[in-house]
Amino acid sequence: MLTLKLALRTLVRRKGRMILIGSLVAFGTFLIVFGSIFASSAKIASRASIIDNFTGDFIVYAAKAKDLPSPFAFNTPLPRIKDSDAVQRALAALPEVEAWAPYAQNYGLIQAEHKGKKVDLPFIFYAVEPARYLSVFGQAREDKGGFFGLGRGTVGVAQRGIMISGYQNQQYLKNFGFQLEAGQAITLLGITEGGVNTTRSSLVGVFDPTHYTSVFNYINFMDAQTYSDLYDYSGVAALPDAFNAGLEAANGDESAIFGLASDPGLGSLDLSTLKAESLSGATMIAVRLKDHGKVDKVMASLALDQDLGIKVARWDAASGFYAQIAAGLQAFIYVATALIFLVVALIFMNTIIINVTERTAEIGTMRAIGGDKSFIRGIFVVEALSLNVAAALVGMLAAVAALSAFAKGGVPLPDLVSQFLIGGGPLQLQVSALPFALALAVVVSVSILATIYPVSVATSVTPLSAMNER
Amino acid sequence: MPVVELKDVKKQYMLGQTRVDALRGVDLEIEKGEFLAIAGPSGAGKSTMLNMFGCIDLPSEGLVRIDGTEVNRLSDKELTRYRREKIGFIFQSFNLIPVLNVYENIEFPLLLRRSLSKKDRADLVLRFIEEVGLSDRLRNKPYELSGGQRQRVAIARALVTQPLIVLADEPTANLDSETGLRIVELMRKINEEDKTTFIFSTHDAHIMREARRVVRVLDGRIVTADAAEVR
Repeated sequence: MLTLKLALRTLVRRKGRMILIGSLVAFGTFLIVFGSIFASSAKIASRASIIDNFTGDFIVYAAKAKDLPSPFAFNTPLPRIKDSDAVQRALAALPEVEAWAPYAQNYGLIQAEHKGKKVDLPFIFYAVEPARYLSVFGQAREDKGGFFGLGRGTVGVAQRGIMISGYQNQQYLKNFGFQLEAGQAITLLGITEGGVNTTRSSLVGVFDPTHYTSVFNYINFMDAQTYSDLYDYSGVAALPDAFNAGLEAANGDESAIFGLASDPGLGSLDLSTLKAESLSGATMIAVRLKDHGKVDKVMASLALDQDLGIKVARWDAASGFYAQIAAGLQAFIYVATALIFLVVALIFMNTIIINVTERTAEIGTMRAIGGDKSFIRGIFVVEALSLNVAAALVGMLAAVAALSAFAKGGVPLPDLVSQFLIGGGPLQLQVSALPFALALAVVVSVSILATIYPVSVATSVTPLSAMNER
Repeated sequence: MPVVELKDVKKQYMLGQTRVDALRGVDLEIEKGEFLAIAGPSGAGKSTMLNMFGCIDLPSEGLVRIDGTEVNRLSDKELTRYRREKIGFIFQSFNLIPVLNVYENIEFPLLLRRSLSKKDRADLVLRFIEEVGLSDRLRNKPYELSGGQRQRVAIARALVTQPLIVLADEPTANLDSETGLRIVELMRKINEEDKTTFIFSTHDAHIMREARRVVRVLDGRIVTADAAEVR
């Protein structure tokens, strides 16, 4: 009690300096609490946004791919997944899997008529199965006619064709002098290794992205069937056994192969006996889990099946630098807070040393009267803790006030920051007790560390100092 | 048995590059209940001797025995405990703790002892506050008191633990002569009533006259230790 009384009264007596230090500690505490909650909320929102818009919990892609899948970028074409159906069957068998969506990135040309002339409009797109795509990325787009004609909850039957972004259409107006209209008949041109394929199609609709406008303004959509038609992703599952035996016997010899045509058993083929194989053009399958926390477990179990010819990439690995933005912001806040506390610790340490110097006679008197070193140490430690813990509480109250102010509408962010960080919109804060405990632990630790040297100075004051005071 | 015994005590310290011989072989015995003045000009060694009596400085050579204990051999912790239990200090500049009021300043050494109940502490504090005539100033802070009043508080603080020895280093130096004389009269009255040993340093002739014995110090040596010359 004596120590506390002395400490508190000394703080009041030197209130000018103490208010300065207390303000710094309060500000640092505010930064820890609000900054941590802001950064962790940004990280959570960023993760959710990336999962909800681009990657799902993880992406399945071809085992022979040299690069990681990158749904944001179109500069690294991935090889097709060898047997998309088998992978989807494997996913269906996993109880943790909620939904999945095969898709591919590609680019092509839209050929449209304008003033009697054919004009080729370039576009990049995701090839998707609309209903599956919506089941994983339900919130990504806003369009008046639904996504390929599907209503919310993937009600209805998907229309075939393409959808382009409003921004893309604006670019066509700017660069080609006209815009496409929903329902307009078009021809799609796809470039393959063998030349250019074409298919007749139509513009199903124009959408405006609700998230990541900086990305989705440039990405358009093509339904998977149209994509398969355009790039001829279809084939025969297996030839009759007699054909296979003949081809095997021919052993690659051209004349022997053509000679098979004269074989009465092989010369004609009943096409109705052939089984068509659905060769998907999908290069990626985004997988959404019921529980995000099981992502590593599900990825590991899927990767075990080597016959599928696939690899898996977690959402953060597949999202490139987008996932790093929130982590970078968090690191920045922690570094800034650490620097503030370093400055606080140095100022605080110097102030206590000045206090010790000014109070040499007082300390000497206490020592002469019978106060031992631990008593002197206690006074300074209690002073430091009383001031800093009180200041920390003020900082926490300020943080609570700020958190309450942003509780309803979230923290408004500049559009550019918001788009890159969380895909757009205000940041909803996720409050937890941890940052408060962390702030208190930091303040107590800094108080004790900053007091070590001044206390050693104070305890080295001898009782003689009291006698020397004149 | 004397309460204080110095035998061939020498004290040297360095002042920059210069060696200062503060005490050059002092022999002195002080009996319980004495009211003793150590007199001498500035730099004669008065304060150094008081520091030895108060266990806040140790000799370079020689022996210092307080209440039969050879204090040279005690650790810092033991010396602190010894001061807390045996010695009361009165300082030239009063040295009250600025954030504590009169009552709390006097109570302070009792709180360091941690051996008394709150009621016993209060009884002692009030008794000595009354003795120094400051019963109406209990809640005043040191800065609200005159120099004489502050020194009275310091006297009460030194006495409240009922020590074996009270040491006063030039207790009247910062007071006007009339107040100084009253302070010494108060000390003397307490000495007579409680038989507490008082040792004080001074170079004021008026104050010296109040002492029963005067030890004169010059250049680190005792030149006279004579009771006959006074009173």
